[in-house]
Amino acid sequence: MAEHVVATVGEIREGKRKIVKIGNISIGVFNIKGEFFAIKNICPHKGAPLCKGSVQGMYVCGDDLDDVRLINEGEILRCPWHGWEFNIKSGKSIVDPNRYYVKNYEVTVDREQPVDAQVETFPTSVRDKNVIVHV
Amino acid sequence: MADTGKPNKLNGIIDCDVHPIPRSLEELHAYLPSRWHKHYFSFSRPFYNHPHHVLRLDALPEKGGAPGSDPDFLREQLLHQFGIDYAILLPIPNITMWPNPTMAADLARAYNQWLADKWLDNNNSDGRFKGSITVAPQDPQAAVREIEHWANHPHMVQVLTDSGSGMNYGHKQFHPIYETCEHYGLPFAIHPTSEGLGINSPASPGYPTTYFEWSASLTFSIQAHLVSFISEGVFERFPGLKVALVEGGSSWLAPLLWRLDEGWRGLRNEVPWVKKLPSEYVRENVRVTSQPLHSPENKEHLLQIFEMMNAREVMMYASDYPHWDFDSPIRTFPKMDGDLKNRIFYENAKDFYQKLP
Repeated sequence: MAEHVVATVGEIREGKRKIVKIGNISIGVFNIKGEFFAIKNICPHKGAPLCKGSVQGMYVCGDDLDDVRLINEGEILRCPWHGWEFNIKSGKSIVDPNRYYVKNYEVTVDREQPVDAQVETFPTSVRDKNVIVHV
Repeated sequence: MADTGKPNKLNGIIDCDVHPIPRSLEELHAYLPSRWHKHYFSFSRPFYNHPHHVLRLDALPEKGGAPGSDPDFLREQLLHQFGIDYAILLPIPNITMWPNPTMAADLARAYNQWLADKWLDNNNSDGRFKGSITVAPQDPQAAVREIEHWANHPHMVQVLTDSGSGMNYGHKQFHPIYETCEHYGLPFAIHPTSEGLGINSPASPGYPTTYFEWSASLTFSIQAHLVSFISEGVFERFPGLKVALVEGGSSWLAPLLWRLDEGWRGLRNEVPWVKKLPSEYVRENVRVTSQPLHSPENKEHLLQIFEMMNAREVMMYASDYPHWDFDSPIRTFPKMDGDLKNRIFYENAKDFYQKLP
């Protein structure tokens, strides 16, 4: 498993994402409340660029079916085509998590000062630490 | 069918349901009499709007504007990416919603002029965009004039209206439209979106609550129109008329035709103008588009449905670009034999649209 520096911490703000290419794989890197997660940019349903979808919460109801609540706000990725929901943290779909899931990758934040050279042409900042995806 | 060496191993692809939209209301106003500018407030429907995104989020043109508003971007993202030879363009003006027939007819005229100007006469040097002549059935005489006006346009290949309607389309009041379509060899297409809106009946016994319920019900209105076309004798009166049922699903077709064929055997005396089995009219006069294609757990079931409904002859591929329930030509269909695939993706539409080169 190789490490790929894909961004600096300050580059992907909370609630935002960056779509990067590592080799031939397109991957979306998401910042959810300061934590970083990376998932493959292909929807397992029909092949849409999943990471271009909207980041939202999800509505559920409790024992009372009319008690509708919004949960997991900022953690659910909705596919840009057919609207299927995926948990960004696990890559699993909400509708059928064991059958429809997207590959996710380990992400770490470099505790050292960032390296000068980044992969490909991503902008760098000497003040921020690095977000690293392990592929 | 011979493999032509194309990457998709098909003779070609004709996409029978692609939606262009004006960049802005102002762009449309340029084609619409000013008396209606304040009446026609928006493109969208007053309700039954999609709760998330009705337009693919990745279909935003790089140069700005809504999905489906930029011919160059659409050509790149749809035609080039998927190797599609021709895109049949169906604007969605929700034309049948409006109670004022004059306004509806003017709106249809505006959309036709806009479509010709922005998509067919310009931005179409390769001729791969083919258009639909929008008509307002609220004013059948104006609809006839509109068809006559555009019939000889080289890239207008069919006549189009909403399947949302206050009246099933087999009724006599619409026959002048079909007579004109038949005369010019232009198929008549119906496409959902305005069911239960404005002056239209819902497709269900009452008004649905949500977009989910509303959109699942659209298939009912398409079926009702088909039953009406057949039982009112439209295809006997206008034997050359071709009808396209777009975006209404298709897997209902076989059991509906079984029911109609069986009913006709006992009730033929009530409808003596229906001279053949209803299924024969469908085979000769009607085509259904594939999208939204079902995804049963067992793909074999879909192939069985294709067999039962005679998809080899009556189904035409459609993507519904740039809408959310887009059916990519790559990952939507089960594995099929080459002939069936070519018929659905290319040959059936090539035969149906006489004006395709």
